[in-house]
Amino acid sequence: MIDNLHARAEKLISQERVEGISQAEGDWLAEHLRQCESCSQIAKQTHEALRAFRGAAIALPRGLAERTRFRVQLRAQELREREPKRSLLWVICAISWALGIATAPYVWQAIQWIGERTGAPRLVLEFGFGLWWAIPALFAAAIVILENVRQANERDWSGR
Amino acid sequence: MADDTKALAQGLKRRDPGLLDQLIEQYQYRLFRYLLYLTSSRERAEDFFQETWIRVLERGHQYDGKYKFESWLFRIARNLVIDWQRSKKMLSLDALIDPEEGAPMEFAAKNQPSPLHLVLSAEEKSGIHASLDRVPGVYREVLVLRFQEELGLEEIAGVLAAPLSTVKSRLYRGLEALRGAMHGGAA
Repeated sequence: MIDNLHARAEKLISQERVEGISQAEGDWLAEHLRQCESCSQIAKQTHEALRAFRGAAIALPRGLAERTRFRVQLRAQELREREPKRSLLWVICAISWALGIATAPYVWQAIQWIGERTGAPRLVLEFGFGLWWAIPALFAAAIVILENVRQANERDWSGR
Repeated sequence: MADDTKALAQGLKRRDPGLLDQLIEQYQYRLFRYLLYLTSSRERAEDFFQETWIRVLERGHQYDGKYKFESWLFRIARNLVIDWQRSKKMLSLDALIDPEEGAPMEFAAKNQPSPLHLVLSAEEKSGIHASLDRVPGVYREVLVLRFQEELGLEEIAGVLAAPLSTVKSRLYRGLEALRGAMHGGAA
């Protein structure tokens, strides 16, 4: 029975530091520590050990932050240079669409000519003409999707 | 705090150089201390310190601001150390959950100072540093996170990617080991 009391006190001394104890447990522990020399000693040792541990200081290597900033800046520059050239992509798409508009009558004539030669239905010809317009957008979308897939495949360092 | 971390997450997503500079300055001591306790080597801690910030730059878009930044930062640092240990075919920190299963990584032969002791002795000639190398690394890590970094139990579980029960168990054993080491008992 007495051993149980000491074991409980020792458990509460640690628990208080690790996850906290209730008011009732705290009161019981305080009372026990007033009466028990050995448990009081354990509580004191725990307090001292943690105080010393918290106060343990280390010296930072000189210039660590500056060296790190320099490396990070270099890496940031590399990343910027390697970043997908989205703006260039959209410029290319815009030029492609402009050329598409300019050449639309000729393209339609060409598609009609193919239709006459092959006897393809008008719906197919119109779909082909629509595809001619959609190609730049499909190409841009494919690049954006591939880039997103690549980013998703990177290891998730948040780990959540 | 939620607004701060959201703003931080947005800044990291933009790779804001000013923000990164500020974070390096703000967290340099805490991150280096954590890495030093983790690796027991000043040179390695310095390398991992720089690598950690490069990861923060590269993977900043993965920080969503739902958790404290330092938890995410320590998690990155820890993953780097574990990856390095695995690549060197050494024991991982996870394998050190139970020190009885194998020799803890940084402990030198008996009667010789351990690498951590040498590192820390160079920092400060105090009893605490001499005692700390008697505390197994796996316990020292949670002690640092709890009593020096003052992270919550859930946050420590996040950093370690371990269940809460494991974190508590390590903390109880670590506290016992620290008390024993400080007062001449066996760790």
